[in-house]
Amino acid sequence: MLELEGVNAGYKDLQVLWGVSLRVGEGELVALVGPNGAGKTTTLRIISGLLKPTAGSVRFLGRQLDKEPAHRIVEMGIVQVPEGGRVFTGMSVQENLELGAFTARARKEKEQTMKWVYQLFPRLEERRHQRAGTLSGGERQMLAIGRALMAKPRLLLLDEPSFGLAPILVEQIFEMIAEINRQGVAVLLVEQNVRAALELAQRAYVIENGRIVGEGSGDALLSFESVRSAYLG
Amino acid sequence: MPTTMVAQSLASGILVGALYGLAAVGLSLVFGVTKILNVSHGELLMLGGYTSFWLFTLFGVDPFAGIPLSMFALVIIGLIVYQLLFSRLIKLPTEDKIRTSLLVGFGLGLMLQNIALRLWTADNRGITPSYAGAVLTVLGVRLPYVRVASLVIAFVFLLALQLFLQKTYTGKAIRATAQDWEAATLMGINVHRVYLLSFVLGTALAGAAGTLVAVGYSVEPVMGLHWTLKALIVLVMGGIGSIAGTLIGGLILGVTESAAAVWISGNYRHVVGLAIFILVLLIRPQGLFGAKEG
Amino acid sequence: MTIKKGISLALLVIGVVALGLVPRMGASESLLNLLILMFIYTMLATSWNILGGYTGQVNLGHAAFFGLGTLTARMLYTGGCPLPLAFLVAGVVPVVFSMLIGVPAFRLRLRGDYFTIGTLALSQILYITIGNVLPKITYLPMADIQNYQILPRYYIILALTVFTIGVAYALVKSRLGLGLVAVRENEDAAESLGVNAFAHKLLALAVSAFLGGLTGGAYAYYQPSYYFNYTFSPPWSLEPVTMTFIGGVGTVHGPVIGAIFFVLLKEWLVLRVGEYHLIIFGVLFILVVLFLPGGLVEAWERIRRLVARRTTVKATAPTACAGGNNLPGN
Repeated sequence: MLELEGVNAGYKDLQVLWGVSLRVGEGELVALVGPNGAGKTTTLRIISGLLKPTAGSVRFLGRQLDKEPAHRIVEMGIVQVPEGGRVFTGMSVQENLELGAFTARARKEKEQTMKWVYQLFPRLEERRHQRAGTLSGGERQMLAIGRALMAKPRLLLLDEPSFGLAPILVEQIFEMIAEINRQGVAVLLVEQNVRAALELAQRAYVIENGRIVGEGSGDALLSFESVRSAYLG
Repeated sequence: MPTTMVAQSLASGILVGALYGLAAVGLSLVFGVTKILNVSHGELLMLGGYTSFWLFTLFGVDPFAGIPLSMFALVIIGLIVYQLLFSRLIKLPTEDKIRTSLLVGFGLGLMLQNIALRLWTADNRGITPSYAGAVLTVLGVRLPYVRVASLVIAFVFLLALQLFLQKTYTGKAIRATAQDWEAATLMGINVHRVYLLSFVLGTALAGAAGTLVAVGYSVEPVMGLHWTLKALIVLVMGGIGSIAGTLIGGLILGVTESAAAVWISGNYRHVVGLAIFILVLLIRPQGLFGAKEG
Repeated sequence: MTIKKGISLALLVIGVVALGLVPRMGASESLLNLLILMFIYTMLATSWNILGGYTGQVNLGHAAFFGLGTLTARMLYTGGCPLPLAFLVAGVVPVVFSMLIGVPAFRLRLRGDYFTIGTLALSQILYITIGNVLPKITYLPMADIQNYQILPRYYIILALTVFTIGVAYALVKSRLGLGLVAVRENEDAAESLGVNAFAHKLLALAVSAFLGGLTGGAYAYYQPSYYFNYTFSPPWSLEPVTMTFIGGVGTVHGPVIGAIFFVLLKEWLVLRVGEYHLIIFGVLFILVVLFLPGGLVEAWERIRRLVARRTTVKATAPTACAGGNNLPGN
């Protein structure tokens, strides 16, 4: 459903991505792993339209994305959870979720989606009138994911959802991701927590210095020698 | 000092302070959302005042009834100014954006001031409908009807804006964009449209404020800088992103000025506000009531 | 490089000598007045540029420094104080005043916009206050007016202008100047390299205030009569910014070129469109800020590069900058 082909991209004079190609199929859970500064976040920014490629193409459900403004891409069904969640701290949990359903497509089903999100994350329902700024790190991440789900994504992009969370919370978040995927949402997961990501994903890409250097099923990459030595110690 | 005099000065301070609040809230909205610091806000307010002056003298339109018209005029002017000038800065990093917008606003202010000078001469102009002189006297305190009405209208505008920002989807999108435009984009919000809307909303409020100033006081071409400074003072006292803070800031400024006029000298009423402003800047740069959202 | 430097130095010397000889060549009084105006505006723009251009701290209240300079110099001079001393004090008073805002503002690391509107407010305070305290016209001493000599004024203001540009040049070419630019470009990075941003900004403010005051001194010595608060009025804040941007912000020659251009264009416009010239300047200023942020200096550079490119191999296309919202977050 999503296809990147030979994407180059960067900021000003600094090129970050060099010919990145990757694919996410319908209902798939794909991980993108690699060291810091390899270009993982940049890849997500390209897909969600926050950054435009200087070469190559991005297609989603057969449509070209490279010229679409970011807000239109959300409307098409690609929704990104940015690193750190970036919830709207000055607003209540519920307002955050409402904003998630901003697009016309999502707004129609706002009430049902919100029920679903509250089912997935009962903690958010308990705190629905609390300001998002008062939430703990784990709760913020849940809110960020919940907010993205409110947009009725076909493809969910997750940027380091485990970052800065306690191990027990990481496990919870990863379970939620698996659950969301089981319910039919395709997921592209960027993670530094490589082992957990590879265990979770059906397929994975390894990115280094802005280039895709490996691809395979999660299990295969887990046993792959260079990946083991580089990331799993 | 007689009590009525104190009460009178308090009342005049509150009456003008509400207008300070209204003038500031437009500037605050624009700055909070777009990070454009438009120092020609006072000149836009002036244009609002002259619009109703023209409407009144040329077509006999009642100034209060004409508020929507002068707001509409300022929406058009705001659209032009934004699309032609400020939209070009919108993608700059915040610091550069503020700096450049200050310069652009400064130049624009000069331009508008001189255009006003050509169109309406340097004279002080007021709007004087039949009821202009009517005064309500409460316990010896004289309250001109037009100024009381202006106060009420200013309150209504601030309340309406508050409700709009808190309750409507568009209002929430504006607040979201103000906090984190990138995250807002990822919600499917067209932030460029939000920027445009906020800017135009700000100029429309300047238009309303200008009308109230013209009917309760007077307008002249050099008033722009004066009102920009009032708005900036209120902004710094009330903090950005808090409408209630802006209103309170405006009232405090108005009352302080009136007090200064009574106890020091009328000549220094505007100096006192500026001095407070500098103090607040230095002591509490986030504003006295600084409810910076987030 | 050194040859180029030598040439520009030679040109500068020739220019100054030529300006020195102008009165001897039977120049009319109106021409001398025009030149004096250019000198004063050059000083004004150059003094603004030191803080606003090199350090990036936009001062929208330069009139405060200029005005304090005029006030001090006028008071001292009419009180019988010798001219050099009057000029010196005219520079020092604004420096003291500038520290009132500079020390707290820069120590707190107030955001640049707070400093900017703070300066705007301060200049307004002075403008109103001076208007209240001294609501009258100030005149040069009777002896000066009855026997107004333009020549000594021409030479003295020329000397002050050369001095001002010299100070700006020396400052910019020194290590301090490098520090100023570093602070403007990235304050944190500059600090991590050992540049004391606070001290640098304060120094730039002090120099800017001193030269701004000196400009005021020159004006007070030159202008026979004006309202005391006139020199504190907003145009004196706006014009140095306009001239500097039109010429080329953050360069030594930019303000000079800007001032000459400004004075000539103003003369020309006033004759043709009268008061409308202020509208035109507003438009021009906005256009420069938006589309030619380097001013005339940059325009010249662009033309030169264009010509150079024509004669050499076609250069590679500039790196495409990605469109869309590729900004760092707020």
